[in-house]
Amino acid sequence: MITVHGLRKRYGDKVAVDDLTFDVRPGVVTGFLGPNGAGKSTTMRLMLDLDHGDGETRFDGKRFRDIRDPMREIGAVLEAKSFHPTRTARNHLRMLAAANRIPISRVDEVFDIVGLTEVKSKKPKGFSLGMAQRLGLAQALLGDPAVLILDEPANGLDPHGIHWLRDVLKALAGQGRTVFVSSHLLAEMSLMADELVVIGRGKMIDNGSVASFVGRFTQATVLVRSPGAESFADTLRREGAVVESLPDGALMVSGAGASAIGELAHRTGVVLHELAPQSASLEQAFMSATGASEEFVAHELAEMADGDGAAGTSEPGSDQPGTTAPGGAA
Amino acid sequence: MTDALRFEWMRIRTLRSTYWLIGLALMLSAAVALIFGLATRSDPIDVVTIGRALTAGGDFGVPFPAIFMAIVGIFATGHEYRHNTIQPTLTAIPQRSRLLAAKVIVVAVTAAIVAVVSIFLCWGVFMIARGESVSLGDAPLPEALAGYVIYTVLWAILGLALAQLFRGVPSAIVVIFVFPFIVETVIVGLSFIPALDWLQPVLKFLPFSAGSRLFAFEDFPTGEDQPNFDFLDRWASGGVFALLVAIILAIGWVLFQKKDA
Repeated sequence: MITVHGLRKRYGDKVAVDDLTFDVRPGVVTGFLGPNGAGKSTTMRLMLDLDHGDGETRFDGKRFRDIRDPMREIGAVLEAKSFHPTRTARNHLRMLAAANRIPISRVDEVFDIVGLTEVKSKKPKGFSLGMAQRLGLAQALLGDPAVLILDEPANGLDPHGIHWLRDVLKALAGQGRTVFVSSHLLAEMSLMADELVVIGRGKMIDNGSVASFVGRFTQATVLVRSPGAESFADTLRREGAVVESLPDGALMVSGAGASAIGELAHRTGVVLHELAPQSASLEQAFMSATGASEEFVAHELAEMADGDGAAGTSEPGSDQPGTTAPGGAA
Repeated sequence: MTDALRFEWMRIRTLRSTYWLIGLALMLSAAVALIFGLATRSDPIDVVTIGRALTAGGDFGVPFPAIFMAIVGIFATGHEYRHNTIQPTLTAIPQRSRLLAAKVIVVAVTAAIVAVVSIFLCWGVFMIARGESVSLGDAPLPEALAGYVIYTVLWAILGLALAQLFRGVPSAIVVIFVFPFIVETVIVGLSFIPALDWLQPVLKFLPFSAGSRLFAFEDFPTGEDQPNFDFLDRWASGGVFALLVAIILAIGWVLFQKKDA
């Protein structure tokens, strides 16, 4: 169990981490999500006392600096290539093992776990990013810790490697460990994580299950292709949706769900060739989030209200939440 | 603390450059001692010749063990930043003072051993080259050789401290070579210009020059025609150098504690 309270860090005028408070529970993989530059790495560095800032992080009630043999309780990897290029991988881990009185036999064990046994006596200067990531994971697992903190561990892994990493992390969480993994890619995180801590511009945006977060973002836009795109666009706009015409003639509709658009097309006799809800890219979503976090949240609410207005009359069974905002304001 | 020492010991001996640098220091020292022994074969032996042979001509410049052990010291801290290993290191040993103390101890002990070994190696080579046994007991040899070991250790710690201060290898190497070989040499040179002879009393406080008095085999020449250097005695001169090392180490230490890793 990791308890993070009031974490804050500023560089001059720029606030990198702004009052983050969250818990990371054991037994599940918790993803730490945010666009590049959101403050994920800084947060992790603050948690591990590498950087100095305000606030407090406790690992099962203990501060990091008070833990004797910290690698036996917390395995952390913040950068993929943090080893001397000509010290063999095995010696690199033996050196760290020596610092925390970890038996040497464990070094060979973790090479087996991450699948680097064949290259453990090699110099890591020739390691690919994927191999470096595996060496990093081996380093984190060295002390058989109950807590894992990994910064972008999937970076540089091929799809097979990402699949493998997911299985390893799930298995480790399944053993009751606390696993805290950062990424800037939603797709990657939706594969790996059960819980999410989402930040933008150093501020907390969301903290909850992956399902609820993904749900919030995948309903945002719908791609519509139709031979009568131009007139249908007007119809949609009259219903309060926001419509953007793409260069290839397709429409990008927000403010109305796929089901509402489909029914509208049916009612108005428009032929649809494609009706595809778009997974809003996290990167896009965070662009607005980092532009102004509060504005971003308000925007989302307004769009949901619009959607309700457009679909409400013909679709009483709509699962969109009712709001008090008047529809059709766009 | 023993864990940190174990870590540092493992770190220094799993690094190939450690062996290269120590090997070079010893080989070059032995080579100079050999040349000295052969070249002075027909000359009567005196304490200065012995001293020069045992320190491998150290008083001509900076002795090999000091230079090479300074680089070992630079690598002890500089590599952590150059190769991003400071993060795994500090997650294994979060107590920064403990880590730095372990680095200083391991590097200092290594430097001391290398200095002692190089003295005895040079002694052996020198005796073989001259074909006679040579005593180490004549004054001031015991003191000068002890000073030589201390001098080597101070250089090694200075390298470590500079690389910690600059958080990297290249800037530390530049400073540790530019200062004694260029800046101090230029200041000494300038002091010979009559208009700048007021510099001469200052020279005894030039830390690197003062430090090399630690293993001086003879008093600095004095007399009417000699510049008025008025050097401090062996241990006071060593103190000037040690003070410089201590100040740089202290600044590096405080910044290491205060700043983000």
